[in-house]
Amino acid sequence: MASATDSRYGQKESSDQNFDYMFKILIIGNSSVGKTSFLFRYADDSFTPAFVSTVGIDFKVKTIYRNDKRIKLQIWDTAGQERYRTITTAYYRGAMGFILMYDITNEESFNAVQDWSTQIKTYSWDNAQVLLVGNKCDMEDERVVSSERGRQLADHLGFEFFEASAKDNINVKQTFERLVDVICEKMSESLDTADPAVTGAKQGPQLSDQQVPPHQDCAC
Amino acid sequence: MAADTEPESEVFEITDFTTASEWERFISKVEEVLNDWKLIGNSSGKPLEKGIFTSGTWEEKSDEISFADFKFSVTHHYLVQESTDKEGKDELLEDVIPQSMQDLLCMNNDFPPRAHCLVRWYGLREFVVIAPAAHSDAVLSESKCNLLLSSVSIALGNTGCQVPLFVQIHQKWRRMYVGECQGPGVRTDFEMVHLRKVPNQYTHLSGLLDIFKSKIGCPLTPLPPVSIAIRFTYVLQDWQQYFWPQQPPDIDALVGGEVGGLEFGKLPFGACEDPISELHLATTWPHLTEGIIVDNDVYSDLDPIQAPHWSVRVRKAENPQCLLGDFVTEFFKICRRKESTDEILGRSAFEEEGKEIADISHALSKLTEPTPVPIHKLSVSNMVHTAKKKIRKHRGVEESPLNNDVLNTILLFLFPDAAFEKTLDGTTSTDNNNLPLESEDYNLYNQFKSAPSDSLTYKLALCLCMINFYHGGLKGVAHLWQEFVLEMRFRWENNFLIAGLANGPPDLRCCLLHQKLQMLNCCIERKKARDEGKKTSASDNVTNLYPGDAGKAGDQLGPDNLKETDKEKGEVGKSWDSWSDSEEEFFECLSDTEELKGNGQDSGKKGGPKEMANLRPEGRLYQHGKLTLLHNGEPLYIPVTQEPAPMTEDLLEEQSEVLAKLGTSAEGAHLRARMQSACLLSDMESFKAANPGCFLEDFVRWYSPRDYIEEEVIDEKGNVVLKGELSARMKIPSNMWVEAWETAKPIPARRQRRLFDDTREAEKVLHYLAIQKPADLARHLLPCVIHAAVLKVKEEESLEDISSVKKIIKQIISHSSKVLHFPNPEDKKLEEIIHQITNVEALIARARSLKAKFGTEKCEQEEEKEDLERFVSCLLEQPEVLVTGAGRGHAGRIIHKLFVSAQRLTESSDEAAAMAPPEEEFKRIGSAEERRQNSVSDFPPPAGREFILRTTVPRPAPYSKALPQRMYSVLTKEEFRLAGAFSSDTSFF
Repeated sequence: MASATDSRYGQKESSDQNFDYMFKILIIGNSSVGKTSFLFRYADDSFTPAFVSTVGIDFKVKTIYRNDKRIKLQIWDTAGQERYRTITTAYYRGAMGFILMYDITNEESFNAVQDWSTQIKTYSWDNAQVLLVGNKCDMEDERVVSSERGRQLADHLGFEFFEASAKDNINVKQTFERLVDVICEKMSESLDTADPAVTGAKQGPQLSDQQVPPHQDCAC
Repeated sequence: MAADTEPESEVFEITDFTTASEWERFISKVEEVLNDWKLIGNSSGKPLEKGIFTSGTWEEKSDEISFADFKFSVTHHYLVQESTDKEGKDELLEDVIPQSMQDLLCMNNDFPPRAHCLVRWYGLREFVVIAPAAHSDAVLSESKCNLLLSSVSIALGNTGCQVPLFVQIHQKWRRMYVGECQGPGVRTDFEMVHLRKVPNQYTHLSGLLDIFKSKIGCPLTPLPPVSIAIRFTYVLQDWQQYFWPQQPPDIDALVGGEVGGLEFGKLPFGACEDPISELHLATTWPHLTEGIIVDNDVYSDLDPIQAPHWSVRVRKAENPQCLLGDFVTEFFKICRRKESTDEILGRSAFEEEGKEIADISHALSKLTEPTPVPIHKLSVSNMVHTAKKKIRKHRGVEESPLNNDVLNTILLFLFPDAAFEKTLDGTTSTDNNNLPLESEDYNLYNQFKSAPSDSLTYKLALCLCMINFYHGGLKGVAHLWQEFVLEMRFRWENNFLIAGLANGPPDLRCCLLHQKLQMLNCCIERKKARDEGKKTSASDNVTNLYPGDAGKAGDQLGPDNLKETDKEKGEVGKSWDSWSDSEEEFFECLSDTEELKGNGQDSGKKGGPKEMANLRPEGRLYQHGKLTLLHNGEPLYIPVTQEPAPMTEDLLEEQSEVLAKLGTSAEGAHLRARMQSACLLSDMESFKAANPGCFLEDFVRWYSPRDYIEEEVIDEKGNVVLKGELSARMKIPSNMWVEAWETAKPIPARRQRRLFDDTREAEKVLHYLAIQKPADLARHLLPCVIHAAVLKVKEEESLEDISSVKKIIKQIISHSSKVLHFPNPEDKKLEEIIHQITNVEALIARARSLKAKFGTEKCEQEEEKEDLERFVSCLLEQPEVLVTGAGRGHAGRIIHKLFVSAQRLTESSDEAAAMAPPEEEFKRIGSAEERRQNSVSDFPPPAGREFILRTTVPRPAPYSKALPQRMYSVLTKEEFRLAGAFSSDTSFF
């Protein structure tokens, strides 16, 4: 779990594996919003109308190239049932990115987004990145959650937003790639800001430098 | 371009003949450097603003040149200025004297608090210094000095550079410079006198004026008036009136009878010595004219109280010893120790422990026989007693690193619940921590990965810190840790929850040690619930259903079980069958039907719902509000279920690794699902037991409602009825859910295999705790200690309200959270954090010291108080602070009083020591100046006196141009220095 925390941003330790970074990503959301389908579409480019309801937690791996870097994505798929909350939230801590999913044909799954977001805030790492995804956008006839509402909620929560369809392969790849980009941005940002922190550290000694008698011929 | 440069280089080779000697080569190198730095021509800037020397930025450029094989460094010092457009001005300024000469007369920046000595002496904004490169080298002989000065003169003449050029002569520490500045038809010579003692005739203004005038040798009579700036500096070292308030904590008080738990929850703070060592008062007369005042060997008008300007600077003690910093640093040092607890305590600490405790439980069970009810009155003191006894046995009493009182106090502080014989539910504790739970400070543990400030872990960290510092160092730490582990075991074995830990599964945002303790608490909670459940259900004869199960029986009989536990240590889980050891636990779970046989329910194993419906429902939690069973319409009951196993981060990591290792194939995914199906199966069994005769549809409607799809259908009679069915994915043949449903037997949760083997987990945690070395422990707890130190610093700062410190604390927090977020942070980074905390501590201590000295608290008038507070905070942040109203202002009066009382003290002690060192006497008499000043003055003789004399006169002839002349002089006990800049007209002399 903590391999993300072990090495900063999962930067690989040994060179024998063929990737530069490993990102751990979690897909969460209510039961049967299409998390597993979404993942299968992305990782295997396949779609089946019915996947067995996920028990506990499952994962898939996909390696992509981004900015000349090989990034291995370890994407964890979670069970959406209430009963599995405690089990799955334990996995939040090591994740660098979240795909929070609801089903545009299901009001309840949309209403639960706020709740899921709180869960992320409570259990995840401080700078974990979150994307909100409204899945099943191919089922326009049965839509009950408008894009507008989705977008508004995403804005409100400070997440980026996509509507996607695992079935028709709409925005699936884009979602993941955007998430990876956001993580990368955050990563370089935090590495940058790490420097001021270090220089901030150097301000410490500087303060004590005041103790040194001024370098001049003053009257002391 | 290339074509242009070619012939030039040829020309250069020809001219090279002229630079044949070392001297000529040196001069040309100096010129080269001046050219490179573009110091040629008139570099005029704006007139200097007031205070710009302090507020502006100074920069310097360096180069190295050599005279033969002697290396010199050339350095250009300059005040960074906004570039003015030189182009237009150049012609206008053709005849104007160089900037540097004008600066000699500028009065806006006299006595800058921090500047290069040449800046202080000559008021220059820009200059170049040639000094021996090696620190120990010096140009000593007069001929060499002259040679250098000539080189400078020639170089300046050749290049037309108007920036003053100095050479440093004699030893570096003497800071002797001579130099020159050239302009069109004008020249300034910078000369210097440096003596160890002040010649008698020059100890006062009139004597200095005499030299100045004679040096100028002005032909005019009367001489134009000389303008004078004077600064006297007084040093205050004795703060006898305000003793440094901080005393090092009294250790004996802690050890002695009156030990309060209070001390152990708090970190010490402050400096042990006064972090402000001296106060320097500079009294300045910025603008006097000759003749206005008198200062000669018999009389002086220069009374510091009357000086129009007062400014103050404080000298800070270097690295004052700070308690908090020391505390944290010492604790951090433990991280580097290699010894194990056993090695430190000089025995095998935990080896014998099993027997010991077994003995106790034997003894106790004798007392309490025949009922095997856990004993509730055992408390910390018992444990302390037993541990003590053991230590005595092994090493003799006197060696026990922690004394009994201290240990008892700490244990009571850590486990306040043991003091009161209340029910141990672990929620109430006597916290003196008043942080509101949602506050930023309280949630700091989240950033630092430490533990909440009201938690046991946090308190333990503070106690260990204290023990390490005051009570036995590393040994004490090892001892306390050992006691702590014993207490943990005691609590586990006797079903006492550990107080001071949040309920629920381990909080992964906290440090691992905290998680482990929470885990242990989970285990205790489960065990307690189970044991109590057994007791109450005894009438049910439930236990009789398992007559042969030794493991369960053992669990019931508390003391016996303790014995077993201790003998078998980590193996104790075996008595519960080793089902949970196996990765295929669910298989075993399914095949284990022995219990059912005893229950007489095995007939229902393969039976359909109808048969099951005859069974007595068991393990119901409550009735579902709306749902009824599909086949008979009876209400659907939510069953009592088993909670999933709590996990600490290391377990979680282990598990996720195992899951990940199965790979991404379909098979792997299936295996993964199976491995995680224990919980699902358990829930199904509970559900079946609570709802005899139910279908998977019933279960799904409760467990995963969206997998039951209802549609309105019109039946044959034309009525609208709801028709429901499982979702497509639940209907996939032999999917995980169906499979599990078919194998699930109706067993209530309490009779199922435990999903979470608390016995095994508890033993694992206890073992883990026992093997932690003090160094491991310190690493575990360092985030808590840093967390506590930051809170302490924050708290102290809030009392003083120092904005700069606030900013630094914010930086420390963000820096620390970055460092501590990752496991095993580098030592260097940790040291840095500790260093920052220490610095802040020293800053706050300084602020306190100053506030005490200036009595800001005693100040009654609101307005004055505010001014004084502002003044004090400026003293901390600025090199020199102006005293508003000088000697007559509020702050000025306080400073005056400080000096007066310091003087009185010296007077009286002088009288007392009338017979004392004759040297002192001698010194006093030695200086007329001092004698004069000393006559019951409010102030001591000035530690330094500075004079700046300025005028504009024509030199060398009466018809020459009138040019700036300046002489700076400083008189102290150790040196006498005159720094003169005398300009002369080179065209008309």
